[in-house]
Amino acid sequence: MNASKATLTACVAALALLAGCHEPVSVTVYEAGEYKGESDPLLKAHAKSESKEALQKRFSMGQSDR
Amino acid sequence: MARMKFLCDSERCIECNGCVTACKNEHEVPWGVNRRRVVTLDDGVPGERSISVACMHCTDAPCAAVCPVDCFYTTDDGIVLHDKDLCIGCGYCFYACPFGAPQYPQKEAFGVRGKMDKCTFCAGGPQGKDNSEEERKKYGRNRIAEGKLPLCAEMCSTKALLAGDGDMVADIYRERVLKRSGRPQTWGWETAYQEDV
Amino acid sequence: MKLVKKTGSGSAATQPSSGFLGRSIDRRAFLKRTGLAAGGAAVAIGLPAKMMRRADAADAAAADGDTVIKKSVCTHCSVGCGVIAEVQNGVWTGQEPDFDSPFNLGAHCAKGASVREHGHGEKRVKYPMKKVGGKWERISWDQAINEIGDKALEIRERAGPDSVYWLGSAKFSNEQSYFYRKFAAMWGTNNVDHQARICHSTTVAGVANTWGYGAMTNSYNDMHLSKAMFFIGSNAAEAHPVAMQHVLRGKENGGKLIVCDPRFTRTAAHADQYIRLRPGTDVPLIWGILWHIFENNWQDDEFIRQRVFGMEDVRKEVANWTPEVVENVTGVPGDQVKQAAQTMVENKPGTLVWCMGGTQHHVGNNNTRAYCILQLALGNIGVAGGGANIFRGHDNVQGATDFGVLSDSLPGYYGLAEGSWKHWCRVWDVDFEWVKSRFDQGAYEGKDAPIPVMNTNGITVSRWIDGVLEAKENIAQKDTIKAMFMWGHAPNSQTRGPEMKKAMETLELLVIVDPYPTHSAVLPDRDDGIYLLPAATQYETCGSVTASNRSLQWREKIIEPLFESLPDHTIMYKFAKKFGFAEQFTKHIQVNGEEPLVEDILREINRGMWTIGYTGQSPERLKLHLENKHTFNTTTLKAEGGPCDGDYYGLPWPCWGTPEMKHPGSPNLYDQSKTVAEGGLPFRANFGVEYKGQSLLSDGSYSKGSEIQDGYPEFTADLVKQLGWWNDLTEDEKKAAEGKNWKTDLSGGIQRVVIKHGCAPFGNGKARCVVWNFPDPVPIHREPLYTPRRDLVEKYATYEDRKTFWRLPTRYKSIQEQDFSGDYPLIHTSGRLVEYEGGGEETRSNPWLAELQQHMFAEINPKNANDLGIKDGQYVWLEGPEGGKIKVKAMVTRRVAPGVVFTPYHFGGWFQGQDLLDKYPEGTAPYVRGDAANTAFTYGYDSVTMMQETKVSLCKITAA
Repeated sequence: MNASKATLTACVAALALLAGCHEPVSVTVYEAGEYKGESDPLLKAHAKSESKEALQKRFSMGQSDR
Repeated sequence: MARMKFLCDSERCIECNGCVTACKNEHEVPWGVNRRRVVTLDDGVPGERSISVACMHCTDAPCAAVCPVDCFYTTDDGIVLHDKDLCIGCGYCFYACPFGAPQYPQKEAFGVRGKMDKCTFCAGGPQGKDNSEEERKKYGRNRIAEGKLPLCAEMCSTKALLAGDGDMVADIYRERVLKRSGRPQTWGWETAYQEDV
Repeated sequence: MKLVKKTGSGSAATQPSSGFLGRSIDRRAFLKRTGLAAGGAAVAIGLPAKMMRRADAADAAAADGDTVIKKSVCTHCSVGCGVIAEVQNGVWTGQEPDFDSPFNLGAHCAKGASVREHGHGEKRVKYPMKKVGGKWERISWDQAINEIGDKALEIRERAGPDSVYWLGSAKFSNEQSYFYRKFAAMWGTNNVDHQARICHSTTVAGVANTWGYGAMTNSYNDMHLSKAMFFIGSNAAEAHPVAMQHVLRGKENGGKLIVCDPRFTRTAAHADQYIRLRPGTDVPLIWGILWHIFENNWQDDEFIRQRVFGMEDVRKEVANWTPEVVENVTGVPGDQVKQAAQTMVENKPGTLVWCMGGTQHHVGNNNTRAYCILQLALGNIGVAGGGANIFRGHDNVQGATDFGVLSDSLPGYYGLAEGSWKHWCRVWDVDFEWVKSRFDQGAYEGKDAPIPVMNTNGITVSRWIDGVLEAKENIAQKDTIKAMFMWGHAPNSQTRGPEMKKAMETLELLVIVDPYPTHSAVLPDRDDGIYLLPAATQYETCGSVTASNRSLQWREKIIEPLFESLPDHTIMYKFAKKFGFAEQFTKHIQVNGEEPLVEDILREINRGMWTIGYTGQSPERLKLHLENKHTFNTTTLKAEGGPCDGDYYGLPWPCWGTPEMKHPGSPNLYDQSKTVAEGGLPFRANFGVEYKGQSLLSDGSYSKGSEIQDGYPEFTADLVKQLGWWNDLTEDEKKAAEGKNWKTDLSGGIQRVVIKHGCAPFGNGKARCVVWNFPDPVPIHREPLYTPRRDLVEKYATYEDRKTFWRLPTRYKSIQEQDFSGDYPLIHTSGRLVEYEGGGEETRSNPWLAELQQHMFAEINPKNANDLGIKDGQYVWLEGPEGGKIKVKAMVTRRVAPGVVFTPYHFGGWFQGQDLLDKYPEGTAPYVRGDAANTAFTYGYDSVTMMQETKVSLCKITAA
């Protein structure tokens, strides 16, 4: 079962990563290529400030202890 | 506007799996594909802690770096998304990801391994209009386009899982840490975002 | 996007584990590994397409049609989490967080976050069915009602009305619960009961007999104010996850969290102090804590003097429980007990929380009273942040209990005395003599004078199997039980599996009314005489539901009943019609087609439920709260401004008087810092005014604004007259109240007037530590019937066997005196998982949940596993001392202590190692099936309430 192995590996990876309180900050940084897929309509809509404000408002409403 | 971030407060996470089923519910992801999981350390003994893990939408996403077909893109507030039409299901991103986020459905076009599926921060993908049938089928619901945040965090039973503007997430978390007078235990935060809370 | 389930073997729970790493990671990884190959058993349903009104979110979303928002309440546990549903074209397409709800603030656990799956309902019973020659056949509703009705009437004729058992449900709404009890009354039997019997009956009895009402005193939200939180036998992180939001907020506010449990639970993982006790030793542990309190004079003397009766007798018993004795019996080291005592004393107010870990014992009533006494000694009752926060189980188990879906009471704890019947007959507006004539006219109990059957407790749900199998002459009713209606009940939540199977096979008629087939449909080997009637879920109807904190919430109908299912109250009406009492049944209730109007049922409730104040919560007031959830404070639950200004959310009972009186509800019981009109109360004077020459009324203590500044008895018309308050009643009220009391005055005038004078209708008494009418007036320790500690049996022996107890012979000593501990050396205990609920049929049929827990398992300590040569993940046989055995996966974990085995009780669909897949009607088998823990659980019933013992038995484990 690939998914089972995947899940397992994921767990093991996460475990290994989380085993200590201290986390190393150095992460290997790769040079990514350029995105070659379709353009996402969300990007344009989401760039508007109203859309960002809406998300911030939503956050205060839902994620605080109120 | 800061970047969109996830943070799981391990002092509050009770491993109830609300986030996992909220995700299943919202996106109807198939059996066997888990965009989000709860991982528990020291299960059953003092010190037991759980955290909810999904794609962390990394600042400099390793998955994107290794993708041979460059199917990843990032929104201006840091949500890492991908194009399933481009994805070839090679699985490199899975090996690159420090959180084990990429998932592969079984029994699809590529035999044992289908196109990669992962948490979209409830922001869908590139195909179709936002919340079109096509987008839903491929990526699930697009809550961001509706002005809502990821359902996993919005439904978290103890508000352990926070998702949203990184500054606001950090504010809530810092307040809690101060109240508890403990030290922060921001599992994964530094790795994903390369910065302190 | 459809739910995609893997096709394949069709046996979700039989796939062998393969290729996993040698060590266990955690429970979840363990379960995933063992069952991942399984997937959903997507059996073709084989129905005509138009029958399948199955939700398909993507298709519906694509169709035209505006999104309608419907508000409901999660049907899984008693926290009462608000559910927001998006509905398009009648299809439930989306679920949103209910941020406005002061109970959950949008949050859900795994179960709550998955409720939209109800709208898919693939595994539901889709139409009425019956078994013919061993095969399930579809029948019409008319045929079902006629055939079942004729058979029930024939049994009634031959064996009497008590031979038909009406087993109801905590899944009913309030209106349906009330309706069901009324239905049983008009059928003419007290053989009606529901899960509260096996859940918190010992709480209700123990707590009500201590201070008046047997319910959670404060609220989940109130725990923000607790400085100490003492959990015993409660694993809130799995059983009430959203409650943990409030608990952890309390902890962040500086509250200390103590968790006492035989298992290191996920709740314990968040505790400041964890205490591991031996199962079944709650009283010794509590007395051990009290020993330190008394020894150091840490008790609240003034509170005890004014408001508590009989603490001296407790002191005498507690003196026996020195740290050494406590450690020997409970296994808890002395310093831990002392530390807990100190924490509770130094951090006030403190709350005490308990659940099934405390209640499900043959001494359950002793446990619950001991907890209350600890809180009384600390003066922690009647204060915000304090209280006895008893977390109820099912979403409406509080309501179903309140409405008397119980074999010992009519709605509102009125009991079964003649006066109680007359009260309800007046409310129903039916002739008392007619109701009386519906009952068996014989008498089978009573030493001196025979007691009519109408006035004797019926058989309890925990013992229905004995009502079937016991010899006729040993049962205190005309004949044995011949027909069972299992109306929303999971039989796998009950002990003694093999005997239950036999009982199901002995019955002449077994009717299962449920959205799902349940374990009942597949357990018995019978070819006929078994029916399945599809009931709608609470998302497919409307009505009110009572959360654990006594708040009522109104549920809107989200979708129409799926397939051919019908709401429970409609099915009740159909049967009432068949049995010929529909007219009396719905005399003042509008019936549309065959569906009684839910609002009218609630209005009738409002006219009769004076004892516990279910009279002020009219449908209109509840709907107003529904629309204005956001105006309630999330800590106090009080509305701050808006149309509900001053009300407490959900009008927590008692909400006194008529709806017009606008009582705000009582947020924290017995809180004297508020006037009664504002939700304050003293302790209820429910046990008379004196006992053996000592006053039972409060001594100089009273609620704010009381005109009587001392204790006083409960109010009657005469007392109101003596006080000179009679003329405060209107003329109409006077007419109705004459000769009545606060419980029976249908005008509410007595309640209105005494509250106006600052008094509580139920009087102002003392809480009592000595319940002289119980087998153990002061709670004492008794070893479990199946105990591994034979050395303690003599000193802490159980009760003598009883000949007639709730109509049945009941064994105690004759079991305990046999020593099973040699062959069955391990303690067996049980509990919950977060993903599943109750018997689990519904949740195991939900693929989003089923995927997370794919196997029945038993937690075994590494020491025992190694001694037995058992490895993590392998199948084992777990056998109980009465012979019931189950085949489960071993999970080796330190979560349990050496010598203790834990099993979750949500599994079913297997029997003693056999998958019963082929016995389900086609397409209804849950994704996950497994052996039921209770198959291996044993005899043992509480000495007051008949609660079953599921928290301590013995077992042996062998490799399978």
